[in-house]
Amino acid sequence: MVPGPRGRNLTGDYMIIPVRCFSCGKVISSSSVKFEEKMADIRKTGREPTPDEISREMESLGIHRYCCRRMILSHIDLIDEILPFS
Amino acid sequence: MTEQRRKAVREAGEYKQMSVTINTMSDDFIRFTVDGLTPSTANALRRTLMDDVPKLAIDKVIFHHGQIRDSEGNVYDSSLPLFDEIVAHRLSLVPIVSDLSMNFRDNCSCKGEGCPLCTMTFSINKIGSGVVNSGDLQPVGKSDLVPADKEIPIVKLGPRQAILVTAEAILGTGKKHTKWQVTSGVSYKYHREFLVEKKKVKNWETYKNHCPDSVLSENAERIVFSDDNRCTFLSQLLDNPDVKVTEDDTKYVFQFETDGSLKAIDVLDYALKRLSQRLNLLLDSVVGD
Ligand SMILES: [Zn+2]
Ligand SMILES: [Zn+2]
Repeated sequence: MVPGPRGRNLTGDYMIIPVRCFSCGKVISSSSVKFEEKMADIRKTGREPTPDEISREMESLGIHRYCCRRMILSHIDLIDEILPFS
Repeated sequence: MTEQRRKAVREAGEYKQMSVTINTMSDDFIRFTVDGLTPSTANALRRTLMDDVPKLAIDKVIFHHGQIRDSEGNVYDSSLPLFDEIVAHRLSLVPIVSDLSMNFRDNCSCKGEGCPLCTMTFSINKIGSGVVNSGDLQPVGKSDLVPADKEIPIVKLGPRQAILVTAEAILGTGKKHTKWQVTSGVSYKYHREFLVEKKKVKNWETYKNHCPDSVLSENAERIVFSDDNRCTFLSQLLDNPDVKVTEDDTKYVFQFETDGSLKAIDVLDYALKRLSQRLNLLLDSVVGD
């Protein structure tokens, strides 16, 4: 994979979770790491997280607004793919 | 403009004493009520909270490129999988615990060159593989001014990759760049009252049981609720035609959260002082001598 301009790859995805929410400026990257860990734990039990569980986890991390939630939910982490190409 | 003239201008307008009550507060969240505002001043307060409260943010990052050797003689290459610009940008967005007694660099005694009174220096020195977090920012000098959130991933390092940077943080305001914006989600609404006639709305008691803190007053015939402190159950009252809803455009319920660089109460304190400065500035430029 070839890195494109401004931290995106050529398909336009961000390679690493943005530090802050684009709309309101809340720091969401640290919560995103915790959120992904929680979701990975649930997936280990052999099922997908339910919308209810996702919502509860967001609430407990203090991500209340939907501008911040979409930052985490719609992110695809690609930094591992570009790691060999420094 | 003279102080006397300024006073005359103030008295000519409808000048009302402003009062602030705090409803809920934690280190990084606050909800408060301001009484005695006009809609335009309420918005001015919102914008002051967003644009005009200073905090520390990284403004200059120096990357040291080349080969780095550890004590065992392993060679690491200090070039990163992300562009330097992106890493610098990510570093700048990290919230740093701020000290408002520091100087702005523009009006510092060092005349913009940078000195301990206006600059906070950090360094990162880490070898791969692993994730570089905001907690890896080591303060040089004042050790209490550290990143408020230590788990922000900045960049990932592969094996044989390393990072060696120094960064300078200075004070600034959100007017110039969002990295200097302390608050997020600054919003306000009118103080609202729901007047419920007990004869007309038979189930008034369910509302009282669900939201006991929202009851403003009650007598034999009527009960008055307010949704200043959020109670979702009350929203059903809005659909009821028998309930009289009154909004007060001189009383506002504000709320905001901070990114951890300053305490919410300190932000409010600073913004209220700054607001009156800003309004006086406007007054001076409009009225003249
Ligand atoms: Zn947001
Ligand atoms: Zn200085």
